[in-house]
Amino acid sequence: MARNRRNSDSDAARLTPALLALLICACFVSAGVGYVWYKNQTALLSREITKLEDQLKNLQTENKLRRDSLAEKSLPVNLIKLVEEKNLGLGPPALSQIVRINEAPVTHSSVSNREHSNAVPRLRKANDR
Amino acid sequence: MNIQHKKLLVLAFLLVTGLGGLGFRLYDLQILRHEEFRASAENNTQRVIVREPLRGQILDVRGNPLATSIPVKVVCADPTLIGDKQPIVAHALAPILEMNERNLVERLTPRIRADGRTNRYVVLKRKVSLDDWAAVRGVMTNLTFGVDESKLKKKDANFYKYLRRSAVFSEEDQLRVYYNKNLASHVIGYVGFMSKTNATKVASFAIPPKGTNFIPDDAVVGKNGVISNQVEKVEFETGLNGIELMFNKQLTGAKGWRRTEMDSSRRELFSYRDQDVQAHNGANVVLTIDVGLQDIVETELAEGMRKNSPLSISCMVVRPKTGEILAMASLPNFDPNCPGKSPVECLKNRIICNIAEPGSTFKIVPVSAALNEHVVTLNTMFDCENGAFFYNGKTLHDHDHHRLISVQEIIKHSSNIGAAKVGIALGANMLYEYIRRFGFGRKTGIDLPGEVSGIVHPVKNWSGVSLAQIPMGQGVAASPLQIMMAMCTIANKGVLMRPMLVDRLVDQDGKTVLVKYSPQPVRRVISEEAAREMVQALKTVPTKEGTAESAHMDNFTVAGKTGTAQKNANGVYLKKYFASFIGFLPADNPEICISVMLDEPRTNGYYGGKVAGPVFKAIADRAVNYLNLKPDIQPELEPESTNSNSTLATIPGIPVARPNKKE
Repeated sequence: MARNRRNSDSDAARLTPALLALLICACFVSAGVGYVWYKNQTALLSREITKLEDQLKNLQTENKLRRDSLAEKSLPVNLIKLVEEKNLGLGPPALSQIVRINEAPVTHSSVSNREHSNAVPRLRKANDR
Repeated sequence: MNIQHKKLLVLAFLLVTGLGGLGFRLYDLQILRHEEFRASAENNTQRVIVREPLRGQILDVRGNPLATSIPVKVVCADPTLIGDKQPIVAHALAPILEMNERNLVERLTPRIRADGRTNRYVVLKRKVSLDDWAAVRGVMTNLTFGVDESKLKKKDANFYKYLRRSAVFSEEDQLRVYYNKNLASHVIGYVGFMSKTNATKVASFAIPPKGTNFIPDDAVVGKNGVISNQVEKVEFETGLNGIELMFNKQLTGAKGWRRTEMDSSRRELFSYRDQDVQAHNGANVVLTIDVGLQDIVETELAEGMRKNSPLSISCMVVRPKTGEILAMASLPNFDPNCPGKSPVECLKNRIICNIAEPGSTFKIVPVSAALNEHVVTLNTMFDCENGAFFYNGKTLHDHDHHRLISVQEIIKHSSNIGAAKVGIALGANMLYEYIRRFGFGRKTGIDLPGEVSGIVHPVKNWSGVSLAQIPMGQGVAASPLQIMMAMCTIANKGVLMRPMLVDRLVDQDGKTVLVKYSPQPVRRVISEEAAREMVQALKTVPTKEGTAESAHMDNFTVAGKTGTAQKNANGVYLKKYFASFIGFLPADNPEICISVMLDEPRTNGYYGGKVAGPVFKAIADRAVNYLNLKPDIQPELEPESTNSNSTLATIPGIPVARPNKKE
């Protein structure tokens, strides 16, 4: 070897190519590992999502079953049966127990503008602007 | 060339040949056979999962459910994963599925299909509740086979693992439930399975082709939603009767689908999900039927059945102003949860399917027509021939003997001879025209299947006595619905309405009205004045002198007509009768019209006033209370307290509580 080279090469200069090679390899390795990690996370998340979707579906099913059960229990025929079973003594009102109140018809002149504006606000219709 | 060069050349040649071969193989797989392997790969991973829509509910007018669908499971099995353990599996599942063990063993045994492959899909039982399915899963998970699996080889251990985990699996299904059982069964109808074998219409590949993304309504879908042309027969649930049939399309909804990919363990790869379209659930059908009123009607009909022992008994409650049917019942009926367990004749809705000679209730037609045409007035007198009227070779009879009576009294006493003479005065052509205008001889258009139009012969086919017989209700055939709508015409000031059974269609949440049906007037049949006069005459029927004293109510004015029609077989009149009463109340501003009809009452007599009248009154008494109708006859009030020291507030009509007397 040339004398200059043997005497002037430091340790750092000799290790630089190796370090460079190591760095490049590390980049490739970390890219690969990162890719695998990313795919793994995606797979885990997708499993989590499908699991939650199944849970949601089960909850919706249970909700429907409970709603149907409540509706069934609220049926008039079932309520009447319950009243009879528990002997509550309930029944339809007699005619003499019904009080009918006749309301006087409302005329436009009987309602002032102020009273009208203080009344419950008019519900907005679909074609109102 | 030296040896080294030669060796190099040989090596190069071998390398080039080897690489060339590999390169050609690569070209062959990637380019030449690309489509074939792409399809195979997609077939292995891609799946289209069809999502079945939830069938819509049938609700009454107050929103009470009459029919609903609940989620259940179809329990299936893969026989290839069971090996020779069928007896153990069958023994474990039989008590939960309530099936015969031997049948189960047979189903779990693998079979060779026509294409030489072993079947991997067999249905064990449909409509299994979610609780039962959970029990099946529990049993399968804990199934033991009498072997120490820890000492087995990996392959054998995997066999038992897959047997427990995957041999028995489930698919989604729904079960139609009718909570009220027999109530309004003829109106609601029922669902059942139909099958179709139209495999030729089906796509020939496993997934919809790219660019179409469409699953046709009649697509045949096999296991796991794979559309294929291998399926020979597919069963699907559909409405078979009643509203379930008439509104089947609206109740069914539309299928959705999910296009995605699965891994080898049949787990979905969410990131490869391509399309996800929700199923569009069926609409809810809201009827005009009121379940509380329906229950009242059916209870009283059952009582009427017990007292009079007819072959059948039917009733309708209609709002005359709109044609809305509030209740419709016919006994004997059936349970739509298991329609097959009832005799076939119980499945028939007699109110729309049965026709018979209407008898005396038909007298409202010629009398209304004569009043409308000013041929007669209520006070016009007719000679009822003392109960026997000879006309064109035939003698007509009255059950009571009358002489000169008015038109109003003809209705009150239900005189056959009087009605015949009114018809004769009206004339054949005019009578026929009014019969048709009242809706006889054609369907009413009610939203139920199986309605018949009845029989009304044209005038040219009438015999010599038809003009006298038809006004009495003989020589025509009508369904109970047609007679009811004719009576409602009179109650509705002369306007015939179309019977209305469905009020609206709403979405599954009940928040959005999709379709709203309105009352439909068909035509004006008679003038208001004629209708008013007719009501005047009909008010005399439920009185002491009339034929339906039993239908009289204390707090409501009832207008109605009795009917006692002889049954006819092959032109011969039998000693069997249809007994009926149709009435509406309050007479001058009718809110409800009720018709009751008994087919062959066998105990307690057979006259309409005697057997149908009490049933009408029992229903009407409860119905007015339930619907909170305002009486048009003021009830007598209890005398109020005259004690001047009384500090109790008094409200008219409310009994006053008396304080305890001190000694």
